[in-house]
Amino acid sequence: MAAVQETIDTVRTLDVDQYKYGFETLIESDKAPKGLNEDIIRFISAKKDEPEWMLEWRLGAYRRWLTMEEPTWARVEYPKIDFQDLHYFAAPKGITGPTSLDEVDPELLKTYEKLGIPLREQEILAGVQKPASDEPSDNVYASGRVAVDAVFDSVSVVTTFREELAKAGVIFCSISEAIREYPELVQKYLGSVVPVSDNYYATLNSAVFTDGSFVFVPKGVRCPMELSTYFRINEKNTGQFERTLIIAEEGAYVSYLEGCTAPQRDENQLHAAVVELIALDDAEIKYSTVQNWYPGDAEGKGGIYNFVTKRGDCRGKNSKISWTQVETGSAITWKYPSCILRGDNSVGEFYSIAVSNGYQQIDSGTKMIHLGKNTSSRIISKGISAGNSNNTYRGQVSIHRKAEGARNFTNCDSLLIGDQCGAHTVPYIEAKNASAKVEHEATTSKISEDQKFYVMQRGIPEEEAIALIVNGFVKDVIQELPMEFAVEAQKLISISLEGSVG
Amino acid sequence: MNIQTQIKRTAAEELLLDAFAAHGEALPGDSSVKAQRKAAAELIGRGLPTRRVESWHYTDLRRLLSNVAAFTQGQGAAAEAALLDGSTVLSVVGGKASASANVDGLTVASLVNGLADGKLAERLTLAGTDDTVGAINSAFVADGYAVDIAAGAEIAHPVELQNVHAGGQVHTRFVVNAGEGAKAVIVERQTGTGSALVSSVSELDVGEGAEILWIIVQDQPVEADHLAQFKARITANAKLTLFVMNSGAKLARQEVRVRMEGEHSQFHLRGVNLLAGDAHSDITMVLDHLAPDTYSTETIRNIVTGRADGVFQGMIRVAQKAQKTDAKMACNTLLLTDEGSFSTKPELEIFADDVVCGHGATVTEIEKAHLFYLMARGIEEKSARGLLVKAFLAEVIEELENEQAIEVLEDKLNRWFEAHA
Repeated sequence: MAAVQETIDTVRTLDVDQYKYGFETLIESDKAPKGLNEDIIRFISAKKDEPEWMLEWRLGAYRRWLTMEEPTWARVEYPKIDFQDLHYFAAPKGITGPTSLDEVDPELLKTYEKLGIPLREQEILAGVQKPASDEPSDNVYASGRVAVDAVFDSVSVVTTFREELAKAGVIFCSISEAIREYPELVQKYLGSVVPVSDNYYATLNSAVFTDGSFVFVPKGVRCPMELSTYFRINEKNTGQFERTLIIAEEGAYVSYLEGCTAPQRDENQLHAAVVELIALDDAEIKYSTVQNWYPGDAEGKGGIYNFVTKRGDCRGKNSKISWTQVETGSAITWKYPSCILRGDNSVGEFYSIAVSNGYQQIDSGTKMIHLGKNTSSRIISKGISAGNSNNTYRGQVSIHRKAEGARNFTNCDSLLIGDQCGAHTVPYIEAKNASAKVEHEATTSKISEDQKFYVMQRGIPEEEAIALIVNGFVKDVIQELPMEFAVEAQKLISISLEGSVG
Repeated sequence: MNIQTQIKRTAAEELLLDAFAAHGEALPGDSSVKAQRKAAAELIGRGLPTRRVESWHYTDLRRLLSNVAAFTQGQGAAAEAALLDGSTVLSVVGGKASASANVDGLTVASLVNGLADGKLAERLTLAGTDDTVGAINSAFVADGYAVDIAAGAEIAHPVELQNVHAGGQVHTRFVVNAGEGAKAVIVERQTGTGSALVSSVSELDVGEGAEILWIIVQDQPVEADHLAQFKARITANAKLTLFVMNSGAKLARQEVRVRMEGEHSQFHLRGVNLLAGDAHSDITMVLDHLAPDTYSTETIRNIVTGRADGVFQGMIRVAQKAQKTDAKMACNTLLLTDEGSFSTKPELEIFADDVVCGHGATVTEIEKAHLFYLMARGIEEKSARGLLVKAFLAEVIEELENEQAIEVLEDKLNRWFEAHA
C-alpha cells in the first residue's frame, strides 16, 4: 500500500518537533478586554451586529451558566480554568466578518497558504494553484473542490465558492452572517439539538460563541461539493467558541469537513465548540473532523483544551448522520459526537481514531440514543495510546421503550504502545425494548509479537512493521473518510506516533 | 449546580441513622470497632448514593431503598437444609451464628468474639465514599463466621455459609481464610422470609496455590432488600471460581471486589441473574489485576421478565506491572419484556501495555433462526422459547467443575422457570 510507505517516510523525516502548524501569525488584532460578564456578551453581540433576540439568548445562557458547575466525570486532569483570564473575542484588525479576498490582510492569506488552505477559488478553478511551501501538499484542500469557511480566532475571514453553492440553493456562510441574513432559520434550529443548558461548556458556548459555519441544504438538493470549515486559533490568551449549525432538509445530502490548528504556546488555550446537525426525512449528513490542535510539548506544557459538544438529530424518517473523526491534537479532548435517532429507520454512525502521545489526555466517544422504530447505529472506535498519555473511550447506547427493532453494533479497540500510557473503555449500554439488538465488543492489546515477527521476518524493519500494523488497525475508520482526507489522516497518525515506535 | 442546598434525608436514611443511634452502642465491638462503626454511620449520614455516584449509576439507592425494615428480628427463622448433600452447614439464623464444625482442616469461630476484642476492626474499613454496602454492614454487623482452612487441607464436602432470616434487619459477615494449597467448595446461601434489610459481606483470602470454588445463591423473598459484597484477595498460583445465582429480592446489589495480587493467579466469575416482577438486581464487579501473568474470565447471563430492571457493571483494572494479563469479560442478556430494562457498563482501565483484554456485551431477544430450527421440528413456540432461554443460562452453569453443584443449580433454574414462565 503506497500510503503506508508514505506514512513511514513522513515519520522518518520528522524529528521531535512534530507539530508543523505551530507558527504564529503576527497580525494586529482587536480584542475584547479579558474577563467574562454581561458587558462582554453585549460587546460580542454588538461586534457581530446581532438582533436583539440573539443577545437575549446569549444573556439567558450566561445567567444559566453562572449556576452550573464544571463537570468532573471525565478521565482528564487539568488545573482549574480561570474563565476571567481569557479574551472572549479576538479578531484581526479591521475584520468583522467575511469580506472579499482583496480586502483581507495579506498576512492572513499567507497564514492560510502556509496551512495549505487555498482561499482563492479562481486560481484553483484555473488549475494554477501551487503549494505555498516546499513541503508536498498533503491535504484535502489541495484538490481545490472544497468550499472553505475560514475562521480565524473569533471571526470568519472568508467563505469560498458561495456563488456556485447558491446556484444549487445551498446556503454556506458564517453563523454570524446567518443570524443577520436568515434569522428565521437560525431561530428555528439553533439550540434545538443542543439546548442552551445542555452542559457546562455548551452553555458557556451559547453565551459567548463568536463564529462558526452555517449550512442549509434545501429539500432534495445534493450539495455539489464538500463543505469545510478551517478553524485557526492565533491570538494569545483567547478562547475560541465555535458554533456550527447544519440543516439538511428532506432528501438533501451534504458532506462537511472540519479542520483545526493552533500555534505552539506554553499556556493552555480553550476551545469550546457546539455543533448541531439536523437531518429531516431521507436526508443525510456526513461530518468529518481532522482535529489537530496544538497538543502541547514533550513535557506536557501548553496545548489546547478541546471541550466540544457535537450532536446530530435524525429528526426525519430514513435520515442518516455519520460522524467520522481523527483526533490527534489537543492537550485535552472532551468530545462525544452523538446521534439522536428520532425518526423511524434512521441511522447513526460514529467512526473514530483517537491517537494520544506525550501527555495528551483524550476522553471521547459517542452517544446513540434510539427513540424511533428500526433505528440502527454503528460505532467503530480505535484508540491508540503512546508516551505518557491517557486515552478513554466513553460511549452510550440507549434503546428507549418504543424503539422497536433497534439495532446497535459497537466495536472499540485500543492499542497501547509503551508501558507509561493508559487505555480505558467505559461503555454505557441501556436497553428497554425486547426486540432491540445491542452488541458491544472491546479489546485492548499491544501489537502482538506474532504480528510483528511475521512482518519483520519478511525483511521489514521494526519501525515500519509497527506502522504497517497500526495502519491495519485503523483501516476500518480511515476508509470512511473522504478520499483525500484519508491520506491526510494516515499521515497525521504516523506523525502523532513518531517517537513512540521502536 | 453551585448551590448545595441541604437535601432532606429520605425515610430510609432517617431509619438507618435512628437505628444506629438507638442500637449502635449495644452492638459487639471494642473501642476500635466502635470507631469504625461510627465512621460508617457518618458515611450513611452523608446520604445514600444516587445515579450521580458513578458506581451506583444504574442503581439509584436513594430512590430504590424506599423503606428500611425495623431493627428487630422476625420470629421463626430456622436453618435450611444444605443445598449440596453432605455439606457442613454454618448458619446465621436471624442474625445469630451458633453452629460449629468438626471437620479436619476447618477451624470455625463465631464472629462476635472477633468484633468484641477488636481483631476485626481493620476489616470494617470502607473502600471509599461510594462503599455504601460496606458502610451499612460495618455500622451494624452483629455476627457471622470466621473460617480457617488449614494449609494443604482438601475439604472433601462443601461448606455452606447460610444467612437465613424471618424479616427485620440482618447484618452478617463471613471471613474465610484458605491456607496455602488448600482446596474447598464454599456455598453462600442468602435466603429468608418476609420484609427485610439484609447486608452481608464475605471476605476471602486465597493462599498460594489454593483452589476455591465459591457459589453464591441468593433467593431472597420479593419483599427483601439485599445488599451484599464479596471481597477476595488471590495470591500466587491460586485459583478462585466465583459463581453467583441471583433470583430474588426486591432490590439486590451484589458487589464483587477481587484483587489478584499474586503471579499466575486465576479468577473466574460466572453469574446467572434471573429477574422477574418488579425486582431490581445489580451485580457490580471491580477486578484488579495487580501482578504479572494473571488470568481472568467473567461471564454473566441475564434474563429479564416482567417489569424488572437488571444491571451489570464490570470494571477490569490492569496495573502497570501486571504485564501479560489476560482478561475476558462477557455479559449477555435476554430481554424478554418491553416493560423491563437491562443496563450494563463493562469497563476496562489499562495501564500495562503487554496485555490481552476484551469485553463483550449483548442485549437481544431470542434468535429467530434458533426458534425456527426448533419449531420446524414440531416444537411449539412457547416450549421452544423456554428451551432456548434455559440453554442460554445452563451453558454457564455447566462450566462449573462440580457435578453436584451443576445438578442442584439447574434444578433451581427449572423451578424458577416453572414459577415465572
